[in-house]
Amino acid sequence: MSEGSAGDPGRGSSRQRATHPENMSLGSSCFSPSVNFLQELPSYRSVARRRTNIVSRDKQSGTLLKPTDSYSSQLDGGITENLDSQSIRKYALNISEKRRLRDIQETQMKYLSEWDQWKRYSSKSWKRFLEKAREMTAHLELWRKDIRSIEGKFGTGIQSYFSFLRFLVVLNLVIFLIIFMLVLLPILLTKYKITNSTFVFVPFKDMDIECTVYPISSPGLIYFYSFIIDLLSGTGFLEKTSLFYGHYTIDGVKFQNFTYDLPLAYLISTIAYLALSLLWIVKRSVEGFKINLIRSEEHFQSYCNKIFAGWDFCITNRSMAELKHSSLRYELRADLEEERIRQKIAERTSEETIRIYSLRLFLNCIVLAVLAACFYAIYLATTFSQEHMKKEINKMVFGENLLILYLPSIVITLANFITPIIFAKIIHYEDYSPGFEIRLTILRCVFMRLATICVLVFTLGSKITSCGDNPCELCGYNQKLYPCWETQVGQEMYKLMIFDFIIILAVTLFVDFPRKLLVTYCASSKLIQCWGQQEFAIPDNVLGIVYGQTICWIGAFFSPLLPAIATLKFIITFYVKELSLLHTCRPSPKQFRASNSNFFFLLVLLIGLCLAIIPLTISMSRIPSSKACGPFTNFNTTWEVIPQTVSTFPSSLQTLIHGVTSEAFAVPFFMIICLVMFYFIALAGAHKRVVVQLREQLSLESRDKRYLIQKLTEAQRDVRSQPA
Amino acid sequence: MGQQCLRYQMQWEDLDEYQALTFLTRNEILCIHKTFLKLCPSQKHYKEATLTMDQVSSLPALRVNPFRDRICRVFSHNGVFSFEDVLGMASVFSEQACPSLKIEYAFRIYDFNENGFIDEEDLQKIVLRLLKSDDVSEDLLMDVTHHVLSESDLDNDNMLSFSEFEHAMAKSPDFMNSFRIHFWGC
Repeated sequence: MSEGSAGDPGRGSSRQRATHPENMSLGSSCFSPSVNFLQELPSYRSVARRRTNIVSRDKQSGTLLKPTDSYSSQLDGGITENLDSQSIRKYALNISEKRRLRDIQETQMKYLSEWDQWKRYSSKSWKRFLEKAREMTAHLELWRKDIRSIEGKFGTGIQSYFSFLRFLVVLNLVIFLIIFMLVLLPILLTKYKITNSTFVFVPFKDMDIECTVYPISSPGLIYFYSFIIDLLSGTGFLEKTSLFYGHYTIDGVKFQNFTYDLPLAYLISTIAYLALSLLWIVKRSVEGFKINLIRSEEHFQSYCNKIFAGWDFCITNRSMAELKHSSLRYELRADLEEERIRQKIAERTSEETIRIYSLRLFLNCIVLAVLAACFYAIYLATTFSQEHMKKEINKMVFGENLLILYLPSIVITLANFITPIIFAKIIHYEDYSPGFEIRLTILRCVFMRLATICVLVFTLGSKITSCGDNPCELCGYNQKLYPCWETQVGQEMYKLMIFDFIIILAVTLFVDFPRKLLVTYCASSKLIQCWGQQEFAIPDNVLGIVYGQTICWIGAFFSPLLPAIATLKFIITFYVKELSLLHTCRPSPKQFRASNSNFFFLLVLLIGLCLAIIPLTISMSRIPSSKACGPFTNFNTTWEVIPQTVSTFPSSLQTLIHGVTSEAFAVPFFMIICLVMFYFIALAGAHKRVVVQLREQLSLESRDKRYLIQKLTEAQRDVRSQPA
Repeated sequence: MGQQCLRYQMQWEDLDEYQALTFLTRNEILCIHKTFLKLCPSQKHYKEATLTMDQVSSLPALRVNPFRDRICRVFSHNGVFSFEDVLGMASVFSEQACPSLKIEYAFRIYDFNENGFIDEEDLQKIVLRLLKSDDVSEDLLMDVTHHVLSESDLDNDNMLSFSEFEHAMAKSPDFMNSFRIHFWGC
């Protein structure tokens, strides 16, 4: 072992370089001859040089030299390359060597012109400023310490759940800020006379007077339990507040120079928050999407990822480390098992295939039947609840009233509790590979959860637009039952959100903690020990918060303060879940990978957003807006604000807008987009073919190289073995 | 004061210099300085004191790491750690470090026999360390090794050169997140 090389960073390569090339006797190195040769190849050395940026270090002088054969040619390029001093950290050297490199760079700076020097100096200070700013904002990150400690104790899969929750808190806060800026702030400024403006109300000309009747019962004395019922269901005193759509009964806010068009602002805020959510989710999922695209192109699972990036270096806890080892064991065995199963599937005979497919068809029909049954139950529950809600409070017992009000929520929650169990049982018989089983079950549960909200909303929609058996002619909607239907839809969404929150708290308080107490103190009972402490089930929890977010998205149009309530709800949920995790859960050996998880969460959220947009667009464009309340009393439907606003633009702008939205523009635009897409698909295919060819060539070259090395080794041996 | 180092405060110029030369933040450098002072052996200035590999291996951040001996070998000089060596190690493992630096050191850590390539023998050692179990079947080892090589060995020589490793890690989604240590005793 040569003395100078023991501490080198480029140890493998420089050790070989330090020994004399001719002194290749078999005793002097411990590697096989072929590896020795490979280390001398110019390709290996140039890669090593690029990595450490030490180019043949002169041991005696201790300074860094450039390779003498290409000194002059590299000088000019070398100076400008070396002078990017911010990247000095990126060099794989230890600190004293980096110091020397920096000193050399600074002496080289003198050879530059004034302009270049100033440019370098200013770019360095700018980068330093950016770094300080980034450090500052990193401190502002919400819940940074909590999430770090969760990561250290439970792994990155669960940590990604909490990061996702944090993302939703921020998203809801921003949505609320948008709504506040556009809708609430002008109203508040006018109401408290901060600005010199007034409300403007323009009555609709030929409107049936019956449509404008909005009876809100205001009881003289407020009993305590009717107060509770109002708080929990949004009726009574809450109905007229700015919590719901019906409060915004003004047409415009008149400032000094212009009239602020409130209906337009209301609609724009809805479109804005939907668009913002979509863009933000897509931006966050682009990373995971690219990775999944690359991965699925080559292999189903990446063993490289599992082996080289399998160990979480930030684990400090010994029990967590044991858990990680066991989860890696489990994962590797499961992957190999999966390979075997897939091979078995590929070797199925045709009879077996037909049998399996017909069985799967039958089981999928059962799944559809279960879904249909649940949807029908929700339909019935909603209908029943809506019909009986109008009864007098005094005539009912407190609990019965609450039950009727919350009946749809209860049925939805029960359905969401039972169906995953049924799906998990069914999928055993469908004979898929284990990874696919998990994914399909999760997909079915996602669909179930999110579709239930849609069914509820559509039931409400059908009730609103039907007066008995014929469509409503007078006002376009059922004004006797729903004089202000948007507020009532808002109330349903509010009830769903409150109930969801209550369930989260109740489950943690009445299921998780007692279970933990039982397991800790009833150590004797075998049944309880078998049941064990619970594990933190990531898919269920994620579905729960995506469900809450979907309600918020649908409800924010009908109830502008709902995003604020959702923000508070998610903040409290974070702390509740964190407490539950730290005190009642044990870590599970089946661990979710963080990279998979992030993409999965955002995908589910995107599905929720798409499912939320559908009822909103239908209610905005098809169902006539209520004439008794709300900002859109002067319009047929909510969407009509836009055409009316466009008609106030100058005529050239109007013709432009009409041109862009007409068919004459849309069809050629669509064709061009299709052509561009086909071009990129063809380009990707061509690149793939080139990559395959290059890989084949690479392996052929490597075979040639090994053959030559073998010949060379043999020749050397022959030369050495010949007597002198 | 017993066995502790003389409590020299770090000079501001040194702190600035370390900030410029590593990826660590100010707080992290001070934290590591504090931990180093607690561990270093005798009445020496922190710039001259050294820690043994055992002392660094038993830091809480590295105590349960299956690759701690490799980490210590890669980052130490002449078998001991100076303060700057510890800083260099923390810089590579910090959150702000760039991917190329992490990939470089990951390659060195995983190259058990230090021949400049990750070959089958290295891969088997890695898998054994990861599983930490006494009854790992030969089949499992061979299967996993075979899969890893088939995914990333582009020139079919049964070894991973640095470029192949770099290529594989650039596509790996978990690498940057898992190759991080952020608890240095604060």
